[in-house]
Amino acid sequence: MNVIAFYIAAAIAVLTTVLVITRKNAVQALLYLAVSLISVAVIFYDLGAPFMAALEVIIYAGSIIVLFIFVVMMLNLGKRATEAESKLLHARMWIGPIILAGILIAELAYLLAQGNTRVGAAHVIPPRDVGLALYRPYLLGVEISSMLLMGALVGAYHLGWHKQRKPETQDANREHATSPDAGRGPVRTGSGRTVGAP
Amino acid sequence: MTSPYPFAAIFGILIVALTIASGLIWIERRLLALWQDRYGPNRVGPFGLLQVLADTIKLLAKEDWIPPFADKPVFIIAPAIIMITVLMSFAVIPIAPGIIISDLNIALLFFLAMSSLGVYSIVLAGWSSDNKYSLLGGVRAAAQMLSYEVFMGLSLMGVVLLSGSFDLVDIVHAQRKIWFIIPQFLGFVLFLIAGLAETRRLPFDLPEAESELVAGFHSEYSGMKFGMFFVGEYLGVTLISAMITILFFGGWMGPVLPPIVWFLLKMFFFIGVFILMRASLPRPRFDQLMAWAWKLMLPLALANLLVTGAVVLAFFH
Amino acid sequence: MPDNYFARYLPLLIHLVIVGIVACGMVLLSWLIGWRRPTRAKMAPYECGMAPIGDARERFSVKFYLVAMLFILFDVEAVFLYPWAIILRDLKMFGFWEMIVYIDIVLVGFFYIWKKGVLDWGEASMKRGGF
Repeated sequence: MNVIAFYIAAAIAVLTTVLVITRKNAVQALLYLAVSLISVAVIFYDLGAPFMAALEVIIYAGSIIVLFIFVVMMLNLGKRATEAESKLLHARMWIGPIILAGILIAELAYLLAQGNTRVGAAHVIPPRDVGLALYRPYLLGVEISSMLLMGALVGAYHLGWHKQRKPETQDANREHATSPDAGRGPVRTGSGRTVGAP
Repeated sequence: MTSPYPFAAIFGILIVALTIASGLIWIERRLLALWQDRYGPNRVGPFGLLQVLADTIKLLAKEDWIPPFADKPVFIIAPAIIMITVLMSFAVIPIAPGIIISDLNIALLFFLAMSSLGVYSIVLAGWSSDNKYSLLGGVRAAAQMLSYEVFMGLSLMGVVLLSGSFDLVDIVHAQRKIWFIIPQFLGFVLFLIAGLAETRRLPFDLPEAESELVAGFHSEYSGMKFGMFFVGEYLGVTLISAMITILFFGGWMGPVLPPIVWFLLKMFFFIGVFILMRASLPRPRFDQLMAWAWKLMLPLALANLLVTGAVVLAFFH
Repeated sequence: MPDNYFARYLPLLIHLVIVGIVACGMVLLSWLIGWRRPTRAKMAPYECGMAPIGDARERFSVKFYLVAMLFILFDVEAVFLYPWAIILRDLKMFGFWEMIVYIDIVLVGFFYIWKKGVLDWGEASMKRGGF
């Protein structure tokens, strides 16, 4: 384990994650989240898990964040969402998270003070070993994951797909292009819910 | 087996890749002209070779335009992302024995990871421009690239089954007896199609279909930022051609000539194939494009994988 | 931990830095050399000479969202196939049948959404009364 590389990557991960929380623009926040995930991948590589590092980038940075950006693009939250974000980010909202995070840090400090941590025991695990572990002792888990994927496919269909009753709303794209209040739909963050929050 | 002179390898590969990519602009215009029975650029320098240089100077001297309605930081980052992701992939490409920047044991996955990050560039360019054409182009591009990425990885697993490694150097060595194009012909066809769609080349250039979307996701881009998307596309073509050479055509291996010459010869052959496709194929409709990816390519890739697995087990045990 | 493990990623890091410099340099160079002279027509989004109506921030068909979701699911499926492909020779026939079962279970879900028309775009989708 290369300590310098680890600390640099970890610092970037923490910094970008803080930026994810504080950005008001959703797409910019997601970009920082992608950088954060890539730095986590670097940490994985540094800990001797190159296969996990590649998967972290392929799955998380390469597809899940792209889905998020897609959703943001499609909902097109625009200025009103940014305003709602600004309201959300006032000082009082920070109290709860800071207390909880403080407890976690105290816990971590206590564990470190106990001294029963084993760091640096990492050794390089080539992709072959990952495969052997997956398809021998954890075979059942792999099979169950396939059922999970099947369930997710069916679930994705039922979540995203419902028959439209009115024929004129068949093409969501065209409908919103002509309506004067384009984008004033029901799915929108900060549409009253966050304003009323303490 | 990483190169003993990392800096020499890095600069060498970067300079060659960028030169080939920008030279391709001239090559493509000349080849297209040849196939369409006209001259193409032939005025600037011998055979019009200096056309690329003239274009570069023109692009640099153009107005550096950032639209006031655009999301400025994202607008600037987007073209840089495509350059970085594509150029990073060149780091794991073994051009000849010893000529490689970084010989990772997960090289193939590194390539897939970088190509999955390439989607960002297009999506962000389309989104940040705040132009209807750009946004439509960006969304189309993302849907297309995601759909074709699904079976891009799967189509390569046949090669992995045969070689038992993600390391591109090992994959080349595994082709000593027979090039993988013969046992993996279906995998090759699938990867070629996926590569075309990933680089958004004709016939898969729907994101920038000029007859309906002006220039798609880069409608609002000008000057060198536009040039970066342009060079990025040609770098992508070079990269996919290099990957095809390594994965299916034995990489640097070949008789008589030195390895590097064989590699470049094979790579340029596939670049030629890419340009020929542009010259000869029409553009499909978007619904056809999506149906192709999900209903034809994905089942084919899975079938190819399982059949290859069965054959490998039957012949090697 | 073998010594060459980190020796391999140092060139990669140098490469990343140089590539980053190249990419940023190109953006910077055009900013330095290029000139700026904004006019009223240039300030408007390009729409083939028409005056733009409304904002570009419009909503899209949920189909695009579904594609991205399906992509994640199949990407995860493919991820399980990567280590399988590399060690199939060690797993022998057992591993092969195991993967047949795995893929078949996922394919059940795949054919379900196929029959439901999620993969149809355009007219075929319209006929089913979807989007």
